Amino acid sequence: MSLEVQGQGLTSVRSMAGLGHPALIAALLFAALALGLCLAGALRKRSDITEAGVRAVVASFAFVVVAVLSLLTALFARDFSLEYVANYTSESLPAVYTLTSLWGGMEGSLLFWTLLLTGFSTAALIRAPAQRAGLAAWAGVVLTGVAIFFLALLLGPADPFTTLASPPPDGSGLNPLLQSPGMVIHPPLLYTGFVGFSIPFAFAVAALASGRLDEAWFVSTRRWTLFAWSALSVGIVLGGAWAYTELGWGGYWAWDPVENASFLPWLTATAFLHSVVVQEKRRMLKVWNVSLILLTYVLAVFGTFLTRSGILSSIHTFTEGDTGKWFLPFLAAMLLGSFALVAWRLDSLRSENRLDSLVSRESAFLGNNLLFVAAAFTVLWGTIYPIVNEALTGVRVSVGPAFFNSVFVPIGLALVALTGIGPLISWRRMSKGSFWRVLRGPVSAGGLVAIGLGLAGIRSVGALLAFSLCAFTAVSLAGEFARGGRVYRTREGLGWPAALRRTLLRNRRRYGGYVVHVGILLIVIGFAGAAFRTERQQEIRPGDTMEVGAYTLAYEGSTRSETEEKQVNAARVEVLRDGQAVATLRPQRNFHFAQQQTQSEVAIRSTPVEDLYVVMTSLDADGTAVLRAFVNPLTWWIWMGAAVMAAGIAVLLSETKGSAVRVTAPQRRREPAVATR
Amino acid sequence: MDQTRPQTSPKRRAKFIVGAAVLVLALVGLVGWAMNRSGATSFYLDVSELQAQGPTAGTQDYRVGGNVVADSLHRDGLTTTFDISDGSSSVTIVTDETLPDAFWTAYDNDPGSVEIVAQGRYDGERFAATQVLAKCPSKFKAKV
Repeated sequence: MSLEVQGQGLTSVRSMAGLGHPALIAALLFAALALGLCLAGALRKRSDITEAGVRAVVASFAFVVVAVLSLLTALFARDFSLEYVANYTSESLPAVYTLTSLWGGMEGSLLFWTLLLTGFSTAALIRAPAQRAGLAAWAGVVLTGVAIFFLALLLGPADPFTTLASPPPDGSGLNPLLQSPGMVIHPPLLYTGFVGFSIPFAFAVAALASGRLDEAWFVSTRRWTLFAWSALSVGIVLGGAWAYTELGWGGYWAWDPVENASFLPWLTATAFLHSVVVQEKRRMLKVWNVSLILLTYVLAVFGTFLTRSGILSSIHTFTEGDTGKWFLPFLAAMLLGSFALVAWRLDSLRSENRLDSLVSRESAFLGNNLLFVAAAFTVLWGTIYPIVNEALTGVRVSVGPAFFNSVFVPIGLALVALTGIGPLISWRRMSKGSFWRVLRGPVSAGGLVAIGLGLAGIRSVGALLAFSLCAFTAVSLAGEFARGGRVYRTREGLGWPAALRRTLLRNRRRYGGYVVHVGILLIVIGFAGAAFRTERQQEIRPGDTMEVGAYTLAYEGSTRSETEEKQVNAARVEVLRDGQAVATLRPQRNFHFAQQQTQSEVAIRSTPVEDLYVVMTSLDADGTAVLRAFVNPLTWWIWMGAAVMAAGIAVLLSETKGSAVRVTAPQRRREPAVATR
Repeated sequence: MDQTRPQTSPKRRAKFIVGAAVLVLALVGLVGWAMNRSGATSFYLDVSELQAQGPTAGTQDYRVGGNVVADSLHRDGLTTTFDISDGSSSVTIVTDETLPDAFWTAYDNDPGSVEIVAQGRYDGERFAATQVLAKCPSKFKAKV
């Protein structure tokens, strides 16, 4: 097949790439049509017009699918007449990473964004028939408005279908760092999270525009919010896992601007997930909730902008694109427009209740929210300070991890404490006496852990506080499960396992949330372990040894082998502890042919107590290597905590009560009321 | 809806304002304290600006960026020494840290093509780097 395209200047016959551009134009036209129809439907309150608008949204989505398929066929056919294909694939690239090259570059990732956006819009709008006349019509206006912006980018400055006059014989290939299983799912999960917030955002704007300011907008999009938040959470953790196993600096989070960009909407969305509970139960915090979701989406788009604009130098963005200048006015319009709407509707957004007491569930939620927003503010400050400072004073300054860690440790610890306090206090008010009574157990657990670890010789105040607060919160959460389980034991005569299972499944939102909290505690324990990290670096000849922590590393030499893609240089390192051989590690230092790039592959021995992490940072012809070794205590718990969190998320997502209106199940069974309290 | 809404008394409002002010001040204090911690922020300079600025003082590190001067690199065990230049002036960087893979990739392709940013302290003569970042040659388009 490739023989047919030797003649240069011919239009491509290798793939369906020629369809891409026309499909994007059709998608843009249908999005514009949908915008017009939804707007007309909203203004005239005509559900038949809105329905036509939704059909246009579906058509727009279908054409985006065609565009994505045509780019995919070009990537798989290695149609190097497309600049994008030439830049991000090569003949030797494995198939799975050919798929990831769809979002490996800016143009492809924006196309992928648009695919998710139009797909999610379709799913959300066709599943909300009862609301078409009201909320859904305005939501359609917002969603298609955003889609038009991205489609315009794809047809203008970020065109993935740009052709090359003289196609190269082979492409430059995908960066080897990105050729890792984590990178197959990390970016799409982050994008799913970012784009997923489009739906609650659109319905929030719709509520403001239409004046339907009751709970409908967030109840009908709750599953979208949860889904987007879950995808973002898992995506962030996978990003950390990727950094840990691929980048070779021994850590998982560097407060890099692009990491921060994904963390910012996560923080505000987490605040939102908690504060809507207060609005549901007590009809308070209405302005706050609507502002949080607007902010979350603006931050999600800001994150996409930071990642793709090259405005801040980071490992993620060493190339500069010129799409940045398009994003700024769009972001400004979103921010000003949505907050102008909030200001306009301020009167209808007043609380119907007020805070009765500082010792109440409401105020615990409020405290949680203030902390999350404060955290988001400090991360945003540290991330954009260099830009602002240079713009104002002309002095270039960078903000490092020391800043972020200093602000985050106190805020994070306060959040852990509130996670434990929240479930213990009742709504509205609680007497001080009964508050102290419920606190007694958890506080003694926290105190005992602090004293025990202090006696064991741990002197890091941050770590002591972290472990002690984790114990406090763990006991509080265990108490919640015990109370719930006891009810089912006495009422239905179940054994403990069955009673606990029923507790979890009967009120998935609450107990699933607690399971997520348990996961967070494990992650915090893992973070606290970083206080005890040790690191050694040494130049070492075959037959020599080096010490790190309690380990002796015996370097036995290295072997060389070759695959089609790379030359593999693997060191053999025997690991001894107290004179006993415990493992053999094989860190590698490889050379990738297509990219002409050297890259280290980390070797890790992971146990619940500590990870031994070895990187070969250089290797000479005579076999002399430089080994860099870390002992990272408790890091294992981060990934374990993430797994627990994922299990909790699965419980949360499996809840059907109060989910978006379903066409297939018009009559939903009402779940029995909360089992306890 | 409106008639059920509780009225806010002036005392309550005052409490709210005081509470909010305390929280905002606490946050500003926390950020201010964190910004002044050792290594939290660093000046970003090019080589001539570094030399004009003089030795590092206080808690603030410098970051200096420039192009590696071809044939200036020496390795002695773990210590690497090389010069960087901004076109007009140059300075010697000394580091015991691992140089990133991207550095060696660029260096092996063309020793004069490596663009780096080093963070650390300057004694007026040499720059002792605690971290060296290398920019990927644009051809690889490292983007995540």
